[in-house]
Amino acid sequence: MSAKRKADRRGLIPLIVVAVYVLVAIAAPLVAPHDPNGSDLAARLAGPFAERDGSRFLLGTDGLGRDVLSRIIFGARVSLTVAVATVLVSGVVGVALGVLAGWRRGWLGTVIMRIADIALSVPFFLLAILVVAVLGPSLVNVVICLALTRWPRYTRIAYAGVLETRERGFIRSTTALGANGWWIVLRHVLPEVLPLAVVVATLELGLMVVFEASLSFIGLGVQPPTPSWGSMLSDGQQYVATAWWLATFPGLALFGLVLAVNLLGDAVRDRLDPTRKVAASSKRRRRKEAVLDTVIGTEQPNA
Amino acid sequence: MSVATLISVSAPRPRAVAGGTVALLRYVGIRLGQAVIALLGMVTAVFFALRLSGDPARLLAPQGATEADIEQLRHTFGLDVPVWHQYTNFLVGLLHGNVGYSYVQRESALLLIAQRMPYTAQLALVALILSVVLGVVAGMIMALNRGGWGDRVITPIVLAGQAMPAFWTGILLILVFSVSLHLLPSTGYDGPASLLLPAITLASLSAATIARVTRGAVLEQLSRDYVRTARSKGASTFRLIWRHLLRNVSIPILTVCALETANLLGGSVVTELIFAWPGVGQLTVQSVSDRDFPVVQAIVILASTVYILINLVTDIAYGFIDPRVTASVRGGGAT
Amino acid sequence: MRLLRSMALGAVAIAAATTLAACGIQPTNTSSSGNNGTLTVDMASYPASLDPGLQYDTDSYSVYRNIFDQLLHRDSTTNKIVPWLATKWTQNDPTTWTFTIRSGVKFADGSPLTAADAAFSIQRILDPSFASQQNANFSAIASATGSGQTLTVKTKYPSPTLLTYLTTLSVVPMAYVQKVGNAAFNLKPMGSGPYSFVSDIPGSQVDLKRNDSWWGTKPSISQVTFRAVPAVASRIADLESGKAQIATELTSDSANQIKGNSNLQVLTSPTERVSYLAFNTINGGPTNNVNVRKAISMSIDYKSLIGNLEGGYAKQVNSMSTPLDLGYPTNLPNFAYNPTEAKSLLQAAGAVGQTVVMATSPSYDPQIVQAIQADIQAVGLKVQIQNTDQATYLEKVQSPTHDWGSIRFGQWSCSCEDSDGVVYPLFHTGTIWSSYSNPQFDNLVDQARQTLNQTTRNSLYNQAYGVLNKDLPGVGLFQIVSIYGAAKGVQYKPDPQQSFFVADMKLG
Repeated sequence: MSAKRKADRRGLIPLIVVAVYVLVAIAAPLVAPHDPNGSDLAARLAGPFAERDGSRFLLGTDGLGRDVLSRIIFGARVSLTVAVATVLVSGVVGVALGVLAGWRRGWLGTVIMRIADIALSVPFFLLAILVVAVLGPSLVNVVICLALTRWPRYTRIAYAGVLETRERGFIRSTTALGANGWWIVLRHVLPEVLPLAVVVATLELGLMVVFEASLSFIGLGVQPPTPSWGSMLSDGQQYVATAWWLATFPGLALFGLVLAVNLLGDAVRDRLDPTRKVAASSKRRRRKEAVLDTVIGTEQPNA
Repeated sequence: MSVATLISVSAPRPRAVAGGTVALLRYVGIRLGQAVIALLGMVTAVFFALRLSGDPARLLAPQGATEADIEQLRHTFGLDVPVWHQYTNFLVGLLHGNVGYSYVQRESALLLIAQRMPYTAQLALVALILSVVLGVVAGMIMALNRGGWGDRVITPIVLAGQAMPAFWTGILLILVFSVSLHLLPSTGYDGPASLLLPAITLASLSAATIARVTRGAVLEQLSRDYVRTARSKGASTFRLIWRHLLRNVSIPILTVCALETANLLGGSVVTELIFAWPGVGQLTVQSVSDRDFPVVQAIVILASTVYILINLVTDIAYGFIDPRVTASVRGGGAT
Repeated sequence: MRLLRSMALGAVAIAAATTLAACGIQPTNTSSSGNNGTLTVDMASYPASLDPGLQYDTDSYSVYRNIFDQLLHRDSTTNKIVPWLATKWTQNDPTTWTFTIRSGVKFADGSPLTAADAAFSIQRILDPSFASQQNANFSAIASATGSGQTLTVKTKYPSPTLLTYLTTLSVVPMAYVQKVGNAAFNLKPMGSGPYSFVSDIPGSQVDLKRNDSWWGTKPSISQVTFRAVPAVASRIADLESGKAQIATELTSDSANQIKGNSNLQVLTSPTERVSYLAFNTINGGPTNNVNVRKAISMSIDYKSLIGNLEGGYAKQVNSMSTPLDLGYPTNLPNFAYNPTEAKSLLQAAGAVGQTVVMATSPSYDPQIVQAIQADIQAVGLKVQIQNTDQATYLEKVQSPTHDWGSIRFGQWSCSCEDSDGVVYPLFHTGTIWSSYSNPQFDNLVDQARQTLNQTTRNSLYNQAYGVLNKDLPGVGLFQIVSIYGAAKGVQYKPDPQQSFFVADMKLG
């Protein structure tokens, strides 16, 4: 029990950080010191703490003289929305399909896994071009496009997880005892698969922010001058040696988010950890499973 | 039919390791058969979608061209006939092992890819070795030292690698190791030393995923009974890792490693651009931008084949790591 | 356990194998410093083709024009057309030209270069099945024949731009091309030029060496490596680390970085390339109104654009062409910034607050597009940028339905230094780029297209530019200056054609 409380406490700080990101994004007009699109060519590429006409640019200005801090604050809106939506859509769809394929197997599983194989292989840039051509540009299509490229990752991870889990003693014993299949999936298989999927999802979040920018580049994402972290990063690319603040600060904003979300993910993982649940649940079931283990064969493979 | 019966029907061969070579070959054969169907479906989808996405003749024509000039180019490339007709022409060519000629470079699409493949493969291999070694070691440390200093220090470092865009890492590495220290070549291909900087750039991305997954997988195993038992019997941590953990955490690690390998073999566009690396990634972006249909189609065929093979090998490897899984995988594959 | 060990062994084996393979893939030119007459050039992209009959993008051009000789040249200082392979030429009648080909010129394989090779070089570009990108440039030619050292070119109509385009014609060896075929020739080009092809790493670099049997003055640089380095920051790093001695296509911001390095120098040349805005005057909504177009032209702060954004590496213009082009209207004033007048024009047109769509593609600098957007919005229009990839952009703006929006941003260069290659394709009724129609303008440029007398042509174009200045179907933003970075000792004078003749360069 105390371990669980400790896990909760570890998750608190990252949770606060994530909440701050979300709040700042929502309240962007109130928080941002400048108009994110207000350009002034005479003030372009001013370093951090630069001052001009009585106003201060805390994190400097970009190639068009726009305030970097304000653009980071407003950019959080697009970047957070796209990243979270994409990870949710691709994660939920991907895990569901992977579990389905691993559990049901048969022709359905085969079809799912073969589609996943080839879906992984479409070059991202090609898919993006095709999505613009077929669906047209919009923020929803950005999410569709990113999700289309990313779901197979979750599917393969979930699939592998199910394969391994289903052969474990307690699952086989429960199955043998004639328990309802979907109940087993929800009660036992999913909790085994989810922790890994969560680890991957929290990492994907940062990637999706960067991916969104490459979509803006071909006209699928947000159009300039609307800021997003990804587009700020790619705009800053040619200035890495001359105006370091252009790519560094949005990069730090992204890093902070990724770090917080990952630590939060760890905390969530701990809660989902099936062994903890088992430990916390009634001793009766523990004993029952232990008995089954000895009957059917131990959970541990011959090492 | 209930799920339970389905399972009881399809999982009758526990532990029969691979069921012999014949069974393995049969399984591979069936998988490859499925792969051909999947590939054909994929290429067909790409073929038609590409033709909705833009006109290569328009891109190729000089600025002062007339509509008639553009029509002439279309005719030469066989793009003026109905799409179905183009498709059958393409299939006929494919049967003869001919994927077509690049509109832009006027060379066989296969040759163009073959020229780039060795560079992508070398870079992918070095990056993969780096990221697996770094990732697994970092993941182990983070898990065994959970909540301690090792975990707290390594986690942000690993995540920084993931959050730093490739161009940023890449340029910084060039500035430090080429411009300032004159230790390594900055861009292009100048022998094996050129591999190092781009491989580190790529590995810093992949290692994060591998490390985090390793950590998660090890933590899960650590909470299992057999580890507790082993520990209570006084097994040393090292011995524990060597004898039990490594094998039992292999499946998730193998899964992500396969995903990263496939990623790397597809060619990383940004890293290739920064390091002027003549890999497949640059060719992909270039030919998609140019709507160089034959090259794009050839790349899709190649990439799909690579992914399918990697996934096939992965699925077979699951069986070797954990023989009980064999039946599961094959059950999924063969029915 | 055995599995893991064998996996590790396998990995080591593969690693060793690839390292060996890597050594096999020709470790080229490891001497990175420019000693002993070796020049390394960083370009933005890899040549699309090395066969000079196919592509003519700047990067392909820069490489293959050193391997081949051209029929004519343009003098880099006077900008006049001068003899090269053709030592003299005469016009027998309005549509027939004869050229005398220099004798004693040999291809790298020792075979002599004759008029038949020159004729063949034209014929293959005109052959539809070859699908040359340059076909349109030579479409005025009806036939080309060669006998001995005499090349005869007949045109379909009197063509004033024939000689201009012949400066871009590289002569290829007929017998060799016919023997090995087009595909093999493209892989291993062979010409008569000052340098000959040695090897390449496709997608990465091309190595040339001096052709010691070349007919011209012996070049001082003995070897040259062209490398494709797409990222500007990487090209600069290559200069700074000594990997390359020249880097092309730099940005104005990166030029400042080079200025700060005492080992490097910035080299520039004005080009015939113009950054422009073109309006949809047919189906563009607000921009169908000439006063809205005028207002937009006055809303742009040209001086700030050039001085701040382009760092001074650009020049103001008064039309869509540059002073390098024949027919440039010297009598017109430059476009000028006048936001007050722009506001009142918009007010009068009732267009204040209306939304206009500005089409652009990632091929063009997004900063300029956004700066222009901000300028136009400041006088009361709303501008919505529509950035699509180049293929989609072309599909849209060249659609005969003219429904691509109101304003498009682009860059124009005909590589011909003639107004015929600029205003005709941009604004003549019915051309793919034109969303404008004026019979008076059409008539003037049609006449100029088939007039041989250059003075008459000049005055026709002056009138045509007058019409454009009144109707304003487009605005020339500035003439682009090409920026190169080079090591201190390199002697190289960039020219407006961006021809990049290595034979004219020297290393310090």
